[in-house]
Amino acid sequence: MVVAASPRRKRVDDGVVTVGRSKAGTVVANAIGVIFSVLMLFPVYWVLNTAFKPADEVLALTPTFWPEHPTFANFTSAFKAPLFLQDMLNGLIVTVLAVAGALVVGFLAALAIARFSFYGRKAIILVVLAVQLVPFLALLIPLFLMLQTASLTNSLIGVSITYLVLILPYTVWTLRGFISGIPRELDEAALIDGCTRAQVFWRIILPLTGPGLVATSVYGFIQAWNEFIIINTLNSPAKQNLMAWLLQNQTTRGTAWGPLMAGAIITSIPVVVFFLLIQRNIATGLTAGAVKG
Amino acid sequence: MKRQLVAVAALAATLLGAAACGSNDDDSPTTSASGPVDGKGKTLKVWLMVDAQSAWKGVVDDASKRFTDATGAQVSVEYQQWANHLTKLDATLAGSDVPDVVELGNTEFPKYVFSSAFAAINPGDYENSGTWLQGLKGACDFEGKTYCVPYYAGARVLIYRTDLFKAAGIAAAPKTYDEFLADADKLQTAKKSDSKFGAVYMPGQYWYSAMSWVKSTGGDIAKQDGDKWVGQLSQPASVQGLQRWVDMVKKYSKADPTKNENDQAGIFAQGQSGMFYGNAWELGAAEQIKKDPNDPNSALVDTKVKGKLAAAPMPEVPSFLGGSNLGVTEKSQNKELAAQWIKAFTDSTSMAGLIKANALPNATALLDKAATDNPAIAPAALAAKSSWFPPNAEKWADVEKGNILQTMLTDILTGKKSVADGAKWADDQMNTTLNES
Amino acid sequence: MSVVESPTTRRPGGSTPHRAPGRAARPRRRRQGASTPWLLVIPTLLLLAGLLGYPLIRMIVLSFQNMRLRELLSGRTPAWVGLDNYTKVLTDSVFWTVVGRTVLFTIVCVLISVFIGLGIALLMRRVARGVRLFMIVAMMFVWALPQLVAAQIFRWITDSDFGVLNYVLNFLPGVNFDNHSWFVNPWQGWGVITTLVVWAGIPFLAITLNAGLTQVPKELVEAATVDGATPWQVLRNITLPILKPLITIVTTLSVIWDFGLFTQNWALRDGHPEPQFQTLATYSYTQAFGQSRYSIGSAISVITVLLMLGVMAFYIRQMFKIGEVD
Repeated sequence: MVVAASPRRKRVDDGVVTVGRSKAGTVVANAIGVIFSVLMLFPVYWVLNTAFKPADEVLALTPTFWPEHPTFANFTSAFKAPLFLQDMLNGLIVTVLAVAGALVVGFLAALAIARFSFYGRKAIILVVLAVQLVPFLALLIPLFLMLQTASLTNSLIGVSITYLVLILPYTVWTLRGFISGIPRELDEAALIDGCTRAQVFWRIILPLTGPGLVATSVYGFIQAWNEFIIINTLNSPAKQNLMAWLLQNQTTRGTAWGPLMAGAIITSIPVVVFFLLIQRNIATGLTAGAVKG
Repeated sequence: MKRQLVAVAALAATLLGAAACGSNDDDSPTTSASGPVDGKGKTLKVWLMVDAQSAWKGVVDDASKRFTDATGAQVSVEYQQWANHLTKLDATLAGSDVPDVVELGNTEFPKYVFSSAFAAINPGDYENSGTWLQGLKGACDFEGKTYCVPYYAGARVLIYRTDLFKAAGIAAAPKTYDEFLADADKLQTAKKSDSKFGAVYMPGQYWYSAMSWVKSTGGDIAKQDGDKWVGQLSQPASVQGLQRWVDMVKKYSKADPTKNENDQAGIFAQGQSGMFYGNAWELGAAEQIKKDPNDPNSALVDTKVKGKLAAAPMPEVPSFLGGSNLGVTEKSQNKELAAQWIKAFTDSTSMAGLIKANALPNATALLDKAATDNPAIAPAALAAKSSWFPPNAEKWADVEKGNILQTMLTDILTGKKSVADGAKWADDQMNTTLNES
Repeated sequence: MSVVESPTTRRPGGSTPHRAPGRAARPRRRRQGASTPWLLVIPTLLLLAGLLGYPLIRMIVLSFQNMRLRELLSGRTPAWVGLDNYTKVLTDSVFWTVVGRTVLFTIVCVLISVFIGLGIALLMRRVARGVRLFMIVAMMFVWALPQLVAAQIFRWITDSDFGVLNYVLNFLPGVNFDNHSWFVNPWQGWGVITTLVVWAGIPFLAITLNAGLTQVPKELVEAATVDGATPWQVLRNITLPILKPLITIVTTLSVIWDFGLFTQNWALRDGHPEPQFQTLATYSYTQAFGQSRYSIGSAISVITVLLMLGVMAFYIRQMFKIGEVD
């Protein structure tokens, strides 16, 4: 994977691995690592196994570790299910709107906190940190009443704004970290060279925060994509997301485990793909200190 | 001239509707479904539960079509899931953009009727209202007025394996409760070598079943004493019924004491038990499963028990009468139209469609017809005639939502509490919940 | 579920003295354009005030009223009841049982997950590259699974009739797990829930801590090893102290997440957790939306926030410290 293949990481790895380690120890460590990974993956494997089984194999008292007659039926069933595609599209729209909005709005605030000294800065940091800890579920009824007054219930916009606010504090805080990681000397040098403040922003701060923006969006993406209680309360089934769909699929006259597991896989795919795509940035974010040093 | 009359009627209806919103709940006018209503350009919002979508969508569409032909109004039906419909309903009814017609389970209705969520209707406007099933209608009555219309019902029956009965030397379905136990014994003996086999499949949180047993010995769940509700489960007759159920479950059932009845047909289909207690339609659900559960027209796959099942009323045990009602929301802007739609959806034509789809009709007058028209639901139609329903208390839905009875049953079955202690605990919980202001 | 903790990126600048020593001490900030920063934060503040602040105040107000279904539907202002809801909640033994259970779960779960997470992070530094790759891939998959999906998977695996867990356990000699129900005994049930939460939480902890470990200067480790320090001593005296700020942050975050447990026990118990599987979050939700006791539910939420205040204050102070370094 990209993490391990990046040359920077390799240098660090080699340095650590070679220091005072016995061969037998390494074999044991490798064995534990493999066993650990297999255990971690077992539930994932079991979903796949279930999702590819025909209905009669799913509900068998003696579970088999491999589908005897592998089938895509559960997947086609999920896709054909009422509202599945609709809710998938809704989920994508809502997530993208919320993440993009949070990045734009949050970036501005992060810039202010990281690069300016002003009266009230501390108070704003306090607010940003504190609101992350508010139990959002408790706000459901007042939130609903408020959005209803603004005619924003049963609309993707209303949910998008809600999600935006949900992920905003974290976005501000994390971007603040990335922005203040950019050496101030760069700004200053550019200003001396005759750049305006706006140019400093467009030519220096924004490009250098790029990886940070991507890394921050992961969190927002996961939060917005995985949320189901708010959207389920605010919107009707045709305006919900896949997670809410999944929740409802489980209780119509008995659980249809096969399509449920297939649906679960489809639901997870965007997140997995997203993870793999920005995987390098996760590592970049986590090791940003080393880059800058 | 005629058009003018219609316009006046529509105007009057609008004014009435507006007045109803502003007025106090006690003297709200009754919504009529008799006169002609011009609904041109209007769209009626209807919330039905998902059962209608999966089992009798055709009936819904047909009723809506007849409604549209008569009134000119369009219908938009939204299907709700049982898991979370109440939370959503609460939030939606709190606002102003509400559905005009809402379906709720009969045991869920009183809470909403007491909270003025529904408008009063005039029963005489609806077909068969004279013989509406009491178990459904009871939930609609409040202070002399009727706030909802019975929709359909379900009654529970004994479903058993004919092949295993034969192998164990049992000729026919049990006629008495003692026979039922004796048959269970015979099944258990015949399959002694199979450690996974249980003569009866009875999941532990199946409270509709346990309460039926309570009723079978003359017990009760709760009753009204003046303006207070008093839990009755710790009364001797109720304890006797509970004990009877617990003894039977412990002896013959291998089912999970923490599961409810949702999945029972699928589990029974694995062939590990001889009998279960379920809705009429669950017989079919056990014999054949949909190849694609999300497709209403899916091909069916036979299970291990295909062609080996039969149903009969559970002897000496009165059935819980489950089902749904339909109400016109108090905040609806189209009350008269809503009432008209309900009228079309609960008339004899629609009921015939429901019977075909293995649901019981909303009136006793139709039960016999149901039994002859559709043999599959004959035992259930019979069972519905001796049925019971939970206390018609404002807060009964909270007892269900609070899992009080389910928790008691699991605690008793797993030995955490004795029957007497469990019943006492449940009574205390119900007394608190039902009498809360 | 934060992937990237900004403190991680900041830590080296602050706590490894050999790197950029002057940065922490630089207090220079521009004083010009006093209105610019405010213009920048106004959108954020407006959004937070509108969609978090206002509902939050409504929630607090609600906890001093008595709002039931009737009031909700009619839109009438519910009756004011002063501290009645709080008295009711605080004198209810059920509530305190739930609090105790939530606290115990949080402690156990956080200890186990941070301990395993750290262990895995250390292991990742020790294994061959291919194995590390495998570990990262495995953890990425688990990490990417939505909570609800993960909970459904565990519900399926532990199902008493069709679950693979009972089937596998049955191969052990002398045991019979046929139709064994994992949620009869609360300890077993919580075992399943804890396993689920730990399993889902390990990737974040291990990968974050592993990233932190790559920051431990190899010169220090080499020097210590040359001086005859055992690996254990290196871990205790060099690695852990350097890692401490990061461990503090991830532990605090784990506490906050685990204390708010909702999705997992909710989904594993099929949307209606029995009393012995209620946590503060589900209890408050059940009271408010299940029983239509909106005011009681709000009071419980307010109390939950107050209970968390200590942990939150600690977290905020920690973050503040890091924030001020810049």
